[in-house]
Amino acid sequence: MFRLFDPLRTTVALALLIAGLWWARTGDYFGREILAEMAVFAIAAMSLDLLAGFPRLVSMGHGLFVGIGAYAYTVATVLAGWPPAVAFPLAVAAGAGAGLLVGLATVRARDIFYIMATLAFGQMGYVWVVRSGELGGDDGLAGAPRPDLSALGLDLSDSATFATLLVSVAALVYLLLGRLLASGFGRTLLAIGQNERRVRALGIAPGPYKVAATTLSGAVAGLAGVLAAMHSMYVSPELFHWTWSGEALIMTILGGIGSLVGPALGAAAVVWLKYAVSAWTEHWGLFLGLFLILAVWTGGQGLYGYLERLRRWSATVRDARGREHAGGDRAHQAVRGPHRHRPGVAPGDAG
Amino acid sequence: MTTAYWLTQLLNALQYSMLLFVLSVGLTVVFGLMNFVNLAHGTFYALGAFVGWSLLRITGSFWAALVGAPLVVAAIAALLYLVMIARMQRAGHLAQVLATLGLVFVGVEVMRMIWGDFALEFSAPPALAGSVSLFGLVYPAYRLFVIALGLVALVLLWLLLERTALGAMIRAAVDNAAMASALGVRVDRLFFAMFCFGCALAALAGVVAAPIFSVYPGMGIEILIPTLIVVVVGGLGSLRGAVAGSLLVGFVDTFGQVLLPQLSGIVVYALLALTLLLRPQGLFPARA
Repeated sequence: MFRLFDPLRTTVALALLIAGLWWARTGDYFGREILAEMAVFAIAAMSLDLLAGFPRLVSMGHGLFVGIGAYAYTVATVLAGWPPAVAFPLAVAAGAGAGLLVGLATVRARDIFYIMATLAFGQMGYVWVVRSGELGGDDGLAGAPRPDLSALGLDLSDSATFATLLVSVAALVYLLLGRLLASGFGRTLLAIGQNERRVRALGIAPGPYKVAATTLSGAVAGLAGVLAAMHSMYVSPELFHWTWSGEALIMTILGGIGSLVGPALGAAAVVWLKYAVSAWTEHWGLFLGLFLILAVWTGGQGLYGYLERLRRWSATVRDARGREHAGGDRAHQAVRGPHRHRPGVAPGDAG
Repeated sequence: MTTAYWLTQLLNALQYSMLLFVLSVGLTVVFGLMNFVNLAHGTFYALGAFVGWSLLRITGSFWAALVGAPLVVAAIAALLYLVMIARMQRAGHLAQVLATLGLVFVGVEVMRMIWGDFALEFSAPPALAGSVSLFGLVYPAYRLFVIALGLVALVLLWLLLERTALGAMIRAAVDNAAMASALGVRVDRLFFAMFCFGCALAALAGVVAAPIFSVYPGMGIEILIPTLIVVVVGGLGSLRGAVAGSLLVGFVDTFGQVLLPQLSGIVVYALLALTLLLRPQGLFPARA
């Protein structure tokens, strides 16, 4: 099962939060822009993890929800002239609605077919946006405003304030999704990912759970889209493109699929690497691809998986030392520690 | 909107269908054999076009490019298979899919490094450069050649799969890999051979498509989605499915753009969504 307040998970989450808040205060303008981008991707990757990491619905079209959120917010504010306070919940609801539709349409698709179906739905959104004149086509839409929070004493046009807000929202999303995943609902999702047939045998219909998870994931991804639109004040059809969805999936996997904090870590690491590598070569995609291949090759557990392995290893070493001191009577403790099943990328369903 | 206009559209649809057929047949058989989706299939198509372009520049002959590029790409595919994909056989299908996604990103950058960012001109061979008059309609000879090539590939593949021992083994392995293996068919070797063969066909499609669409690094990323739609709509692992899927996607896309320009591009996805909902196994799956 998923424990939100697992010591390692909490440590990593806190470290990310503190580093983010510290960076927002001390970084320069460019650094804060990168930080805001990291936070947006972290939210998108966590929402993807809710699908890919637990019920193991590996979506290759997650950009659809992000794009719909971003475009809904931009269209409502720029084209319709509605205030951000109305456009914001509307855009999140649009993401949820898209999640509901995709969830219903794919409820029977399994394994590879699920990947194909989500890939195609995302691409459908891309083609639709690119071909539509009202949405700016290939050029995208500019001018999405940041909301006016001066009543709370916050000036969002200030990059430090905006980055701080985005990091805080990411932390909030982490807590909310974590609470949810630790609940009975989350355990059912994880059980569906591990063995759907057994879940059925226990008298639980997996369908409604999958649809609910997709809807929720769509809403959170829509939120990421809104924040992305506010951040760059511009939306581009690239958000819908299947390679964008692929990048979000890569972040989730590189960070550690099924750990919730891992994808946030992966998002931060990939965005940082993107800027670091792009400083001396224009072939960033080459590195991204190689990282993915390496991550899959080495077992697909990602950064968080390595941290967990390290913890397990150090626990074993500690136990071995303890045994030496106390004599052989503690031998049974050598196998303690978190041996629960983690949903990695590796184990393929036999079905 | 004269008869000639519709006839032109018909030929355009047929030509696009044939291109999709050559692309998708390798993918669908590999997919059917191992439940393995090669997201990098489009990358091999683009690679074929680029290698073909270089061969055309070196030899000056389109035909050398048409034959040479698939061979070079098959060799590259074999190498990638042995180094990467075979080692992940036990890691599960999903891991293989993700690794090929990584290959997509790497492939685009490698092609950009070697051949640059810009679209490259690729002229049709002089013998096929002109137009042909057909039932009072003037149509580019090269596009007719593409249709003919697709039909020849179709017949040859049909003979291979339905009339040879190798074809029987492939069909048996697609139908039930464990049983075929128990009867002495080396399923993993078949898979390897079909993987390379499918990539060679993708490269062939790349060379063939090059004079029509020109050559650029993102071409493989663009063609992948229609190809996957062909595979899903047609059904896994069967030649009939690949034919039916290619024709459906080719005609729906071409005539969708003519008849419903405001929905152009979307109709193909509607076709896919409909298939997934009404007939998730596709039209003619090898495993009924």
